Order: sequence, then C-alpha cells, then structure tokens
Amino acid sequence: MAASAPAYTRARSTVASLRLAVLQFMADPQWLIPSMIAPVIFGLVSFELFRGYGPYFLIYAILGAGMMSMWGQTLYGSGWATGQDRNFGTLEPTIQSPTPYLYVVLGRVLWNVVSGLFGGLIVYAVVVGAAGQPPALANPLASIALFVFVMLTLAAIGVVFAAFYVYTRYAGFIQNIGEFAFYVGTGCMFPVVLLPFAVTPIALVFPPTWALDALRYVAIPGYTGFGWGLWGDVAGAVASTAVYLAIAGLIFRRVERQVLAKGNLSDY
Amino acid sequence: MSAVAVPRTSFWRTFWTNAVFSPRTSLGFMRIDFILGTIFVIPLTQMVFFAFVVKLGSAGESASAIASAIAYTALGNAVATVTYSSVFSVAQTTDSEKFQGTMEHLLVSPANRLALYFGRGLVPILTSLATVTVGLLYASTLFGVAIAPSSVPSLAVSVILTAVAMVGFGLLLGGVALYLRTSIILGNVFLFVGLLFSGVNFPLSQLPVPLQYVGYGLPLTWGVAAIRASVSAAPLPSLLELWGAVGLAAGITLTLAIVLWEVFERRALSTGSIARF
Repeated sequence: MAASAPAYTRARSTVASLRLAVLQFMADPQWLIPSMIAPVIFGLVSFELFRGYGPYFLIYAILGAGMMSMWGQTLYGSGWATGQDRNFGTLEPTIQSPTPYLYVVLGRVLWNVVSGLFGGLIVYAVVVGAAGQPPALANPLASIALFVFVMLTLAAIGVVFAAFYVYTRYAGFIQNIGEFAFYVGTGCMFPVVLLPFAVTPIALVFPPTWALDALRYVAIPGYTGFGWGLWGDVAGAVASTAVYLAIAGLIFRRVERQVLAKGNLSDY
Repeated sequence: MSAVAVPRTSFWRTFWTNAVFSPRTSLGFMRIDFILGTIFVIPLTQMVFFAFVVKLGSAGESASAIASAIAYTALGNAVATVTYSSVFSVAQTTDSEKFQGTMEHLLVSPANRLALYFGRGLVPILTSLATVTVGLLYASTLFGVAIAPSSVPSLAVSVILTAVAMVGFGLLLGGVALYLRTSIILGNVFLFVGLLFSGVNFPLSQLPVPLQYVGYGLPLTWGVAAIRASVSAAPLPSLLELWGAVGLAAGITLTLAIVLWEVFERRALSTGSIARF
C-alpha cells in the first residue's frame, strides 16, 4: 500500500512555492508591467467612453480594468508557471515528488492573488488620476472586501488552468485567444444583463460573473443586475468557486496519474 | 591563402526563403490555430466587448445615436486588431531569434537585409490583411457598419497600406527590442496603445492636445482614418491625402527599422553581446 505524504509536507510545499514566487517576482519585477498595460489602457478608454455619464460610471471602468489586471496576474500567472516549469525542466521532478502538485500551484496562486491586488491598485491610481477624482462608492468597505473576493474567484479559475497546463500546451492559446471572450462573458466592464439572454447561462459558469455582479450591487446605488440580488450573487459565487476548486483537484489527480503513466510530461 | 568567395543569393531567393521558413523558425509561435484565432476570434470578441462598453456608456441616448456609436467603435476595433499579428508577433521575432540561439548566425549572414526583413514580414502582412478583412466583415454584418460596394476598392487600398505600415512598425519595434532584454513589454505597450491614441474608440479630438500629437505619430491612427474615409465614401483627393499619410508612415517605419537594425548589427558585431538576455 502506498504511503500518503504527511500533511505538514503539503503545507511546507505551499509555503516554499509561495516563497519562490515572491523571490522570482522580487528578482525581476518588470514582469508586472506587461500584464498591467492592457488593463490601464482599457480602463482609460472606458473612462473616456463613460465620461460625462455620472460619477458611478467611473466604477465600471475601474472594476473592469482591475479585473483585467487580475486576469493577467492571477489567472495567467498561475497557468504560465507550469509552462515555465516545463521550460526549466523542473516539472518532472516536481510532479514526481510525494506532495501533490496542487499544493505547489496553490503557493503560486496565493502570491498571484497578492500581486493581482497590487496591479488593481495601480489601475485604480491611473484611472483616478485621469479622472481627477476618486469614484463614488456607496459602501467602500464592503466594496473592497468583495473586490478581494472577485480576485479569489479568479484564482479558482487560475487553478483549473494550471491543471490543464500540466496536460496540454494549449492552455496558453485558450488564455490568449479567449481573453476578450472572458471579459465579455463575465461582464467585467458592463452588467451581464446587457448580454443577450441566451448567453447568460454561459456567463454564469464563471465565478467572477457572480462576484462582480455582487460587487456592483454594493458599490453602485440603484444598480440593476441579476434578479436574485446581492446575496444570491454571493451564494452563486461561493458555490461556483467551490465547484471550480473541486474540479481543479479532480483534474490534478487524474492528470498527474496520466502523465506519470505516459511519461510525456516534458514533451512540447 | 586566398579567401573563398561567398556565393551571393538573389534578393528574391532570400525574400522567398525567409517568407517560407519564418513560420517554422522566428515566427514559430504563430501556429495555425493561433493564426486562425487571431483572424476569426479576436476581432469578434474585441468588437463585442467595446460595443457593450459603448452601449452602457450611451444609456439614455436615442437608439440611432447608440447604433451610430457602436458602429464607430466596431469599425475602429476591426482595424485595430491588425496590431496582434503585425506589431506584437513581428516584434516578438527578435525574442525568438535570441531564445533559439539563431541571432548570432543571422547577424553574420551576408543576406540582403531588406529581402530578409520583407520576407519575414510576409506572413504577418497576410495575416494582418485577413484579420482586418474579417473584422470589416463582422463590422458590416453584425454591428451595422454600412459598406457600399463602390467603396470596396478604396477600402482594399487602405487595408493593404495599413497592414504594410503596421508590419513596418512591428519591424521597427523588433529593431528596438534587439537592444533590449525582451520585446514583450514593448510589444504589449504598442499592442493596445492604439486603442487610446489612434481614434479607434473615440475621435482623437477628445484627447488633450499633447496626446493627440502622440496619436499622430502612430501609423495606426492614419490607417484607421483612411479606412473610415473609405467606408464613408470620401472624395478621392481626401483619400489620396490619407493614403499618402499611411504610405509615408510605412516608408518612415520601414526605413527606420532597417537603419536601426544596421546600427545594432554593427554594435553587436563590435561588442559580441547582442544575443544576451
């Protein structure tokens, strides 16, 4: 009977992975810039398009651009790290170690959540600087809490992508080509209710759709989002995030088993 | 001992060899799925995204005003998607050469540089043409942009000139990236900067005057203006003026790209450090 890895090993792996992610970032922080450019520009474009339509429209620009920076840092970063492992030749030893790879990815995701928040802060500063005033937030504290929550829902998708990255080299392609589709599907700069009704079920597959709608309910007075309201959104976001994490765990287990059986992990 | 003379290959042979081989070497990351996604998926999703942003921003206005604003944005974004293959991909070829360890060989090759760069630009030019064409089809069929059959010839000229100018701009950035550690930051900046400064989503006149000058310095600004003028069936003199501007932008960027590559090549040969990361 195979012995399972002791629990402390997993926690230690996550901490070590987090530490390595921090050190890699500190060694070369310029990599924050590529993932910041698009969100900053999109934030400024939407600010220009919303200009003159009231103080709450600035929130759409900031939230949307903030989420884009999270896409870059949290989701892209989490998935990309596996590709880097493959490049460096460290993927095979990592997968062969007794700790499940999920715990290594978790450490990276935790750091990417932090750097994603940092990116969101930069977007906020630039858009507010261009607007010349901070956005009118109806409930600042709850808005900030939900902003962090949006980040966590994105991180859940990041974990799933990371799992796919172990198995396929196409996750990067999907991330690049599907980037705008994801922005549209989650309604990152406009309410999802504006989309055709037939698209709504697809949009609801993504946890950030729910979380963003909840955030707008809190931040924008009189906001018209999904009919089930704030708490329905929060419940949906929590449930869909849990489903994503469960799927990620399942995929990781199956993928790890399959790549070990096939031995083609480092193939390009 | 007399030196062995290196046989000179013709301009067209160098051009064609580079055009054929670049998709498998320096443009190796542009796989067929990537190219098809760039041509068919990115224009549609980018246009849809900005159409909904405009729809939200125009809430409360008349239906015709909203439709007109959406058509304006859709047309601008149809053209702006040209940057994915022409600017980002072309600029990234420098990184590819460095990463694959072929940069030194390229620098000591006696091949005609003009033929070499134009050859390498052929696939991005064709991809750019296809991307803008598909984008214009989406704009016409899904976003209410009226394109009269009579304006198709002038539109074709505008699209071709824009694609060439943008690939020239990509080569220029690739030349700058030769001296940098990586082209990714530069590529990312110019991939999206046109959305703000080139009259893609709103007229350039909405920007502060200094930023308008930044816009005028970008080839995309003139390409977007030429394509808008073609779609609105502008008179030939004004079209010629805009085509001249796009052509001038293409000429300037291509000349600068070649000069820059030559300067950095000389520097590379004298210092022996160009392929460093």
